[in-house]
Amino acid sequence: MVTETNTFESLVSDAEKRWDELNSGSKPWIRIGTALCGEAAGSKKLLPKIQNSLVSLGIEANVSEVGCIGLCFAEPLLDIQLPGQNRIFYKNVTEDDLDQIISTHLRDLSVDPNLAFLYEGENDLADIAKLESHPMKAQEQRISLRNAGHIDPYDINQYMANGGYHALNKALFEMDPESVLNEVKDSGLRGRGGAAFSTGIKWSFLASNNAPDKYILCNCEEGDPGAFNDKGILESDPHTVVEGVILAGYATNSNYGYIFIRHGHDGPIERTKTAIKQAYEKGLLGDNILGSGFSFNMEVALTGDSYVAGEETALMEAIEGKRSMPRYRPPFPAQVGVFGKPTNINNVKSLSYVPEIIRNGGEWFSDIGYEQSKGTAILCLSGSLKYTGMIEVPMGLNLKDILLEVAGGVPDDRNLKLVQTGGPLGGVLNAENVDLVLDYETFRNAGAILGSGGIIAADDRTCIVDLTRSLIAFCQYESCGKCFPCRMGMSHLLEVLERICDLEGTDEDLDLMRDIGENMQAGSLCGHGQLGFNPVASAIKYFPEEFSQHIVGHTCLTRVCNNQRFSPKRTRR
Amino acid sequence: MERLMEDKITIHIDGQEVQTEPGKMVLEAAIDAGIYIPYLCYHPGMKPFGACRTCVVSVVDGRGMPASCTLPVQDGMVINSNVPEVNDLRKSIMSMMIAEHPNGCLTCHRIDICGPSDVCLRHVSVNDRCITCPKNERCEFKDTVRYLGMDLESHLDYNYKALPLDLKDPFYDRDYNLCITCGRCVRVCEEVRGDSAISFVDRGGRALVGTSFGSSLLESGCEFCGACLDVCPVGALTEKENKWEKPREIKKTVCTQCPVGCQLNLELNEFGRMIRVVPELDSPVNRGQGCYRSKFGLGYLNTTTRIRHPQIKKDGKLENVTWDEAISHIVDKWSEISKSNLSVLTASDSTNEELYLWQKLVRTYMKTNNIDQSTNIQPNLTDTMQSLLGVGASTGSIWDLKDSATCFVFNSNITEEHTLVSLPIKQAKKSGAKVVVLDSRETEMTRHSDLWIRPFPGTENLVLLGIIKIIIDENLIPDQDLQQRIENLDELSAFVKSMDSQDIYNRTNVDEEELKTAAALLTESNKTSIVYSLDTIDIDKCEQVVGNLINVSLLLGSLGKKGGGIYPMRQGGNEQGAQDMGALYGRLPDGMLLNDSDARHKIKELLGMDISESSGTSLVGLPDSIANGEITSLFLIGELLNESHPAIAALKTKLKDLDFLVTLESYPSDITQIADVVLPRLTFAEKTGTYTNLERRIQKITPAMDHKNNESLSEVELVSRLGGMLGVDGLSFESESLVMDEISSAVASYNGITYDLIDKNVQLVLRSGYDMPKPTQELYTSYKSLGVQWPLNEQLQSTKILFEDDQKFSALIPNATSTEDIDNYWLVQGRILFMDNDLFSVNEAGDHNVIDRPDVFELNISSAQTMNLNQGDEVTLHTEEYDANGTVSINNELPVGVISHTSLFGELAVALQNSEKVNLMADVPKLRILSASISKKG
Repeated sequence: MVTETNTFESLVSDAEKRWDELNSGSKPWIRIGTALCGEAAGSKKLLPKIQNSLVSLGIEANVSEVGCIGLCFAEPLLDIQLPGQNRIFYKNVTEDDLDQIISTHLRDLSVDPNLAFLYEGENDLADIAKLESHPMKAQEQRISLRNAGHIDPYDINQYMANGGYHALNKALFEMDPESVLNEVKDSGLRGRGGAAFSTGIKWSFLASNNAPDKYILCNCEEGDPGAFNDKGILESDPHTVVEGVILAGYATNSNYGYIFIRHGHDGPIERTKTAIKQAYEKGLLGDNILGSGFSFNMEVALTGDSYVAGEETALMEAIEGKRSMPRYRPPFPAQVGVFGKPTNINNVKSLSYVPEIIRNGGEWFSDIGYEQSKGTAILCLSGSLKYTGMIEVPMGLNLKDILLEVAGGVPDDRNLKLVQTGGPLGGVLNAENVDLVLDYETFRNAGAILGSGGIIAADDRTCIVDLTRSLIAFCQYESCGKCFPCRMGMSHLLEVLERICDLEGTDEDLDLMRDIGENMQAGSLCGHGQLGFNPVASAIKYFPEEFSQHIVGHTCLTRVCNNQRFSPKRTRR
Repeated sequence: MERLMEDKITIHIDGQEVQTEPGKMVLEAAIDAGIYIPYLCYHPGMKPFGACRTCVVSVVDGRGMPASCTLPVQDGMVINSNVPEVNDLRKSIMSMMIAEHPNGCLTCHRIDICGPSDVCLRHVSVNDRCITCPKNERCEFKDTVRYLGMDLESHLDYNYKALPLDLKDPFYDRDYNLCITCGRCVRVCEEVRGDSAISFVDRGGRALVGTSFGSSLLESGCEFCGACLDVCPVGALTEKENKWEKPREIKKTVCTQCPVGCQLNLELNEFGRMIRVVPELDSPVNRGQGCYRSKFGLGYLNTTTRIRHPQIKKDGKLENVTWDEAISHIVDKWSEISKSNLSVLTASDSTNEELYLWQKLVRTYMKTNNIDQSTNIQPNLTDTMQSLLGVGASTGSIWDLKDSATCFVFNSNITEEHTLVSLPIKQAKKSGAKVVVLDSRETEMTRHSDLWIRPFPGTENLVLLGIIKIIIDENLIPDQDLQQRIENLDELSAFVKSMDSQDIYNRTNVDEEELKTAAALLTESNKTSIVYSLDTIDIDKCEQVVGNLINVSLLLGSLGKKGGGIYPMRQGGNEQGAQDMGALYGRLPDGMLLNDSDARHKIKELLGMDISESSGTSLVGLPDSIANGEITSLFLIGELLNESHPAIAALKTKLKDLDFLVTLESYPSDITQIADVVLPRLTFAEKTGTYTNLERRIQKITPAMDHKNNESLSEVELVSRLGGMLGVDGLSFESESLVMDEISSAVASYNGITYDLIDKNVQLVLRSGYDMPKPTQELYTSYKSLGVQWPLNEQLQSTKILFEDDQKFSALIPNATSTEDIDNYWLVQGRILFMDNDLFSVNEAGDHNVIDRPDVFELNISSAQTMNLNQGDEVTLHTEEYDANGTVSINNELPVGVISHTSLFGELAVALQNSEKVNLMADVPKLRILSASISKKG
């Protein structure tokens, strides 16, 4: 055993040496966010420009792509760290700014407070704000996102230098599978995919199955509009998920893992594939991991764009290469899963917590959070907010505080009208009802879902009927078409909503929608149809007068309703 | 039995106590108990799907309303199905469906009295009327709406999809405007047939069924089996022929197109015309499945140009006579010629009773063995099996193949010729079984195989020896009781050990790795089944080939195991029966070999007739016998099918040289034109009798159709009268049943089999009321007709698997193999369902689709170089039988000397659809290997 431990130790010490070299070696270190948010803002285009500037100035520097630090509104976000000094962040960097930033900072070795945005480090600076003091950062407690924006996701050494794979090493050599499972149970971790079921108990279903081949699936389908934290984690720190999957495999005595990513999420796909390759190279995946006798293999699985592929059994169909349509249950995945073998499926976020839980113990994790909702919530703030981005805050904070303080409230002197949480099936909350504690039970009681953590805020320029129509148009388009109530119910709901948007709705339409909704809820095969009426139900509940303005008053006060068509082709009525 | 009782559990459905077993779903338990729960996407025989949600029920103390098709039974469960809350949900779901399906007539009070041409007072347009839907009287959707007692007070918008109709593909008409997307067709195609020619397309509210990229069925891999049509609950999928005809009567029969013997339901219209064929759902043989031949090839039963009266040729013209005149004319003519110059050819659809009588006539009157069947183109298919194992028939049942761990398909194009046999193999493959194919030809089975061994034509036997050598040399036998199984093991081992492996690899063009893989796959367990035919095997190699296949089976110990065994693939519909009755070349009753003197003696004892030692004439030998004057008179029963086969073609040209030709035939043909006497014959659908299929199952048929304006006699009566006039005793029987009584004493393996026993060997199927909406196939079943599989045990029960008690057999000791002639070029024909789309295009020709595809001749590079050909060259291929133009394609996986030509099944389907032949499926060309040469064009 000693030699194997030495192997891991040597891997870590090598990684740490490289990390120190980056931080306090001879060269400055430039990091730029190229996660989806950065890429969308143009950071990939800046990469060659940085090299050009460096060459023209004759300066040598390490340039790394990093993931998302959370401040998506500030992208492209670039930071420069001189050896042994503070990290200075520059926000919304354009090609024009770049030369100036690099020449001031690297040639003149001075920091222009007008250009700089934030700093991170031990040396206090007077005229620049500290990263931790930014409203979006102030209340954060990062577990899953601990490395996001700090390390290069393409480099396993940077992950290992920051405590990566220590949990795996600990589990393999100091713990038996059952105690790993118990740690996760003790932590109180609940599935972050939406159903909020205890992860430990879910694993124990699989662990109790003695079949020779068992699978661990990690779900990064993430098709909810307004949700980008699964992608964000895989893009910023893929190894924490890879390690989490291996640990889940060890705890349940499984032998194969799939990280399932929706086709088109190129960043996460590329980075996860690289991460898996590197883990194999270091002996952290494959046969006889670190000489422990435990073997585990893993690959990335893709499917075509399909929202329903995120449903666990549909995801299994997709991995098997079939059309992603949900299966009926029972049998449950822990008995008959992918390829007919026992399977456990977890969300990316759930698995990303696991390494830290094993490193620090379940009790440590269960101390964070609120009542039955342990740990942190990873939220995606988007829509009509001053600061948009990805934050990780302890459970138990207030949603209203998050909207008004963390996200800086609604810009342009507008008023918050509604918040849409948990993806399109999660429904909406009006501004009066956002005073909610971040907690699964509280949200459920309020008729909303914390779910995937997507929070979209809308201001008073939004028409609720139009918004509901868009949500239902999404749900209709993304229905797999298998079970009748969902396939046809969504189409009919959309038809009625389009009628109301056209200001041609009738008095019976609300009842008609309720009828359809009840049937969908009672009759549908999977959650897509069962929850499909949520957006309409919550909209009618919180904004009844706006619906009657459309139906009775034949007016849309926000003037956004138009006669755009999303429903399947209709030939005549 | 006690254990079984424990396994039973009880549930309550609508207050009724239902006994069922764990693992069943509530809906299945209800169907078994004759309780009706509405359903649209479930179909008996397929896995539940859980899509339509019309089978929702409420469970007492359960949550919500689960679909009963996917709800596993639990002991003590209390289910409510026919209660208002459940029916309300069903109605709501149905009302959404109605909004997407033409519905003008669904709730009209006039629906029962309205005719297709009536003016509709409610101005319902033609598209929306049930009365103009081809499935009107068999529509589960309409029936379910009416069962639920729905009114049409829905506020939902009606949405007609207005999709174009797919009417251009052969045999099928598809109208997806009527589709309710239940997915039965998709699932039957994938799950049961293993084809996946159709799939769900699009999603959300647009989700529908179709082919990938909306292509024609001709290019999507469709085998035109009709399974999707049979399960469609609405009018979306229908047969093109007789599309608008309504069935008045349903009659059961057994298909004679191939030796599988599928049970079929014939739909007859008010004039007694056969309008549609629906395979029997509760048949143990075909389990609700058919094939392109049974589904679309039986139209000839309706042909009105029948031979109606006995006819005698006078002054070169056929004239109608009475039966007495005709029979006495035959007797007169026969008395003029030597009895040894007479021969009888029976038909593939002759019943056991007929076959028995004809062979008895030949053996007692003519005192020869001049009888054979006109489809017996592989006369020595089971001779070696008979001499080594004592039987010449499949040792297991068709669906036992589903339990195979490995299936070895040897030189047999089962997907086309014995379609049903391929189904359990494809299904086994899906659940992890391995398939090994040994064939020079590219067939559909090669696409489903884990290993396709493609030897140089003529070296198949050598490949088998190579496999046996590896099995023995490397001791790959799954269980080591070899000495218990094989008497002459040492001799066999010594022979294969003396063989030179390298020589085998060189001559067969199969390398060591392939042979080793084959040996490894075949020896994975003793559940290895062998399905063989001798389609392209030279006649002089047949004995060795079959012997070596049996050797493989003996080495593995797979005989007598469920999922193991040997399955010879015969040609004619009742060829097994012909062999059992002794009406096949070289055979005596009970299938005993004619050249076995003990057997001849045994038959003499039993029947009191001297058996000639002369081997008799075979179908294959008949042209020569006619040419050299050995046979001058032929009694030909039925038509000569499969004219494209050289043996049949040769015989046809020789018929005119006969002195006296009698044909017993249903339809006029060019053969009846040259016959001296023409007698009218019943079709198989008009007969009483029994057929024996390739799994030894004896199934009884009774007349399904009337023969009107037609003097046809049953052949039992004909032989009785003929025998009487010829003065031969023992041929006079009053009914088919009495013939079977004699068979059961004369044919050892048929001991104890009587019509009574077959009639009693049925299982009643409990069904909910006949007015309940159900799939067509389910409506047509009231009992499960099992037939009997010979031999019977003492309790008169069928033998499903032969040799279950371990027996010891001798293996065939192979010959020193002869060298193969590889100076020649061989054209190897192949046919598959699916091909890369850029190799061809589908175009419209008038009102139907055709495949435009140049013939491609594949060659090894060195063959091409020898002939000075390059990739893409335009060439002409010459064979003895035909010439063809095409282009050259280089494929180095082929052996030197082989020209491979693979066509698409779709081309055949188009040709069949447009064929004007009466019995159109009888002439599906077999895939053969021909001597050929290629010359460059121009």
